[in-house]
Amino acid sequence: MSAVIDQTAATTVVVPSVDVAPEEQPVGWRHRHLLDVDGLSVADLDLVMRTADAMREVLARPIAKVPALRGRSVTILFYEASTRTRVSFEVAAKNLSADVVNIAAATSSVTKGESLVDTIRTVEALGAQMLVMRHGVSGAPYLAAEVFGGAVLNGGDGWHAHPTQALLDLYTMRSRLGRAGSFGVEGRKVVILGDILHSRVARSNIWSLTTAGADLWLCGPPTLVRGFEAWAGRGAAAGRRFTVTSDVDAALRDADVVMALRIQRERMASGLLPSLREYAARYGLTRERLARARPDALVMHPGPMNEGVEIAPDVAAGSQSVITDQVTNGVAIRMALLYLLAGVHGPGASPA
Amino acid sequence: VTDLEISRAWLVDPASDREGPGDVVVRDGVLEAVTWLDGADADDITADGVVVAPGFIDLHAHLREPGNEDAETVASGLAAAAHGGFTTVCAMANTTPALDEPGVLDRVRGAAVASGSPVELLAYGAVTAARNGETLSALGELADAGVIGFSDDGAPVRSASILRNALAYAGALGLPIVDHPEDPTLTDGAEANDGFVATVLGLHGWPVAAEEAAIGRDLAILADVVRDVPGARLHLTHVSTAAGLDLVRRAQAAGLPVTCDVTPHHLALTEEWVAGARRFAWDAGGGDPWGDGAIVAEPFDPALRVNPPLRCPEDALACLAALADGTAAAIATDHAPHTEVDKAVEFGLAANGISGIETALGLVLAAVDAGRLPLLRAIAALTSGPVAIIGSRTRRSAAGAGLTEGAPADLVVFDRSAAWTVSAEALCSKGKNSPLLGMTLPGRVLLTLAAGRTAYEDASDA
Repeated sequence: MSAVIDQTAATTVVVPSVDVAPEEQPVGWRHRHLLDVDGLSVADLDLVMRTADAMREVLARPIAKVPALRGRSVTILFYEASTRTRVSFEVAAKNLSADVVNIAAATSSVTKGESLVDTIRTVEALGAQMLVMRHGVSGAPYLAAEVFGGAVLNGGDGWHAHPTQALLDLYTMRSRLGRAGSFGVEGRKVVILGDILHSRVARSNIWSLTTAGADLWLCGPPTLVRGFEAWAGRGAAAGRRFTVTSDVDAALRDADVVMALRIQRERMASGLLPSLREYAARYGLTRERLARARPDALVMHPGPMNEGVEIAPDVAAGSQSVITDQVTNGVAIRMALLYLLAGVHGPGASPA
Repeated sequence: VTDLEISRAWLVDPASDREGPGDVVVRDGVLEAVTWLDGADADDITADGVVVAPGFIDLHAHLREPGNEDAETVASGLAAAAHGGFTTVCAMANTTPALDEPGVLDRVRGAAVASGSPVELLAYGAVTAARNGETLSALGELADAGVIGFSDDGAPVRSASILRNALAYAGALGLPIVDHPEDPTLTDGAEANDGFVATVLGLHGWPVAAEEAAIGRDLAILADVVRDVPGARLHLTHVSTAAGLDLVRRAQAAGLPVTCDVTPHHLALTEEWVAGARRFAWDAGGGDPWGDGAIVAEPFDPALRVNPPLRCPEDALACLAALADGTAAAIATDHAPHTEVDKAVEFGLAANGISGIETALGLVLAAVDAGRLPLLRAIAALTSGPVAIIGSRTRRSAAGAGLTEGAPADLVVFDRSAAWTVSAEALCSKGKNSPLLGMTLPGRVLLTLAAGRTAYEDASDA
């Protein structure tokens, strides 16, 4: 829960051996759930990154599978449509030899009016030990964590948080920019461009990137960055700095990383934007605009993309794009988190 | 019918603008003697111990009957009121069916009689039929039947034209319109105060401007109506923002017949609570709860979802300032009991409201203890302030809701040196939806007398 940024703890991490079950070794992870990024320290982030390194090594094997979570039941409960996050969690759990149950809310009792609490209790009674959840209402995973006996992994809730996305984003930056013993983003200019207001990806990246020491910029039209200037002001007083602007040229100048966010059509209906065309013209990540960034700047997108709106097709597919890396790294990150959370037992663990 | 002698207590009597050491004698349910002590007789009697005050009047409570008796009944609501020190309760009209014709009022009154509670039950009628915002309810018939005013609370009177007509019509009947000031076009889907905490937690923002714009509209209409109908009166309930209170303050200075109330939760709690902080507004200081270690509980507690939302610390302090300078004449609880089914859900899907009639005194006393509100002023906002708004339709009006000799005893005795812990079991209300569960509040209520009868008596050995 603490937001104190502990820069000194990064070197003491012991990386677990992922061929061994997590409960059979000390893994240095203390959070019972993964609900948000706000409670993760530098040491926590470092442990996740190093564990993901080990998972990527597993993924490079001829048979990309370890028995670490054999006999564990992982339920994936999604109340919102998703392809990449849901499949990524499923592949991650299966690579760890867990038993996986998939529940799409549209096909469950939820459509008959069952409450979230009842659904969670039912899922647990059916044997779930770990719960991966996606929900359209901010904070829903906290309600789930209150009633579920095992670990809850937030797969995205409302506008609030998408912790595994933020961690795979950091991991992708670290893989491309990192030197040994760093996150790679320290002092680097990372720009998140687009609909910040409605973005759980942006919120979670604010916590992880400011903790990791990035020079973070948030950029979007005034209606879609509303409120973040105030957050930046309060955060600065507490030692967590980032910059908010609607000036896309200033944001992109000499950037090391540019992450574009999806623009949804609903934003037009609610009067936040005049049109997708106007958004693309003023804020779309085009080749011309990207030229303001450093020549080797990374281009990222959490997907799914509206090509031609927030990102031009040639930029998305260009040499600077690491968008497919993000997808691959997502599996390693989710394996790491399932593994670390499976290792947490007993009352001494602090909730996250 | 009760006989009672309370010696050497701290008496607070806003009707006579007086507080100090004294004795109180109740004989056959009548407040027979109120004796103010001075000199050596008053030695060692302070305002920090047992306090005797007139029974409180709640201008705004939801008793849910008829229609939602699983959330609250008139009987359980009146029991909760007595536990909170209230001896007069003004029930809102958003029952099912709405209180838009005298038949529903008869049912509510019948339930109060059947409960056997001596607590006085008063009721508002709806402004519009079925609270639909479109056509006027049976205003004249409701006035004849004894409602104390008209309100579509829970929703604002959406149409400015209907509000204009209602203010004029009710004004001629001598009754106020009680409006819930909210511009709904600014709050569609809103979950939490549009501010720092909502931004961080990804909650749909509920802007201050929604209240300010609605108050501005209401005041413009009131100014128009009073030119033709001098008796028109507007009461704005649960004003929650510094900007809204400032508009009321200026309108009062200009002579408009407008009053307002604030709630205990808006003066003591803030949006930070939604993030998991549990410090009072006066201790928050506009800091960053994530950065200054204030977060001690999980975020997104649905018990904190309320309309209007908990605001920032500056707004809460403005509520206290409005009480201190008289802009807000009353503290009203907006007691809003809900079932667990309606509250044990995702924050954004939870019903709005706090079960607050039993914790009102504790929150107000916390502000008094912190030096943010004089005790006499706080008690006035719970007694003489509301009685001035209701007028002669409460049995309390003759005595001015004061400690008046010869009147039926309506009083509360509480001990400021004794704290109590809020728990589901400790609440008489069926609504256990309090964000204060587990917290300790100052000011245990020892005894509540209503119309000379015992409405609540503390069972512990205090």
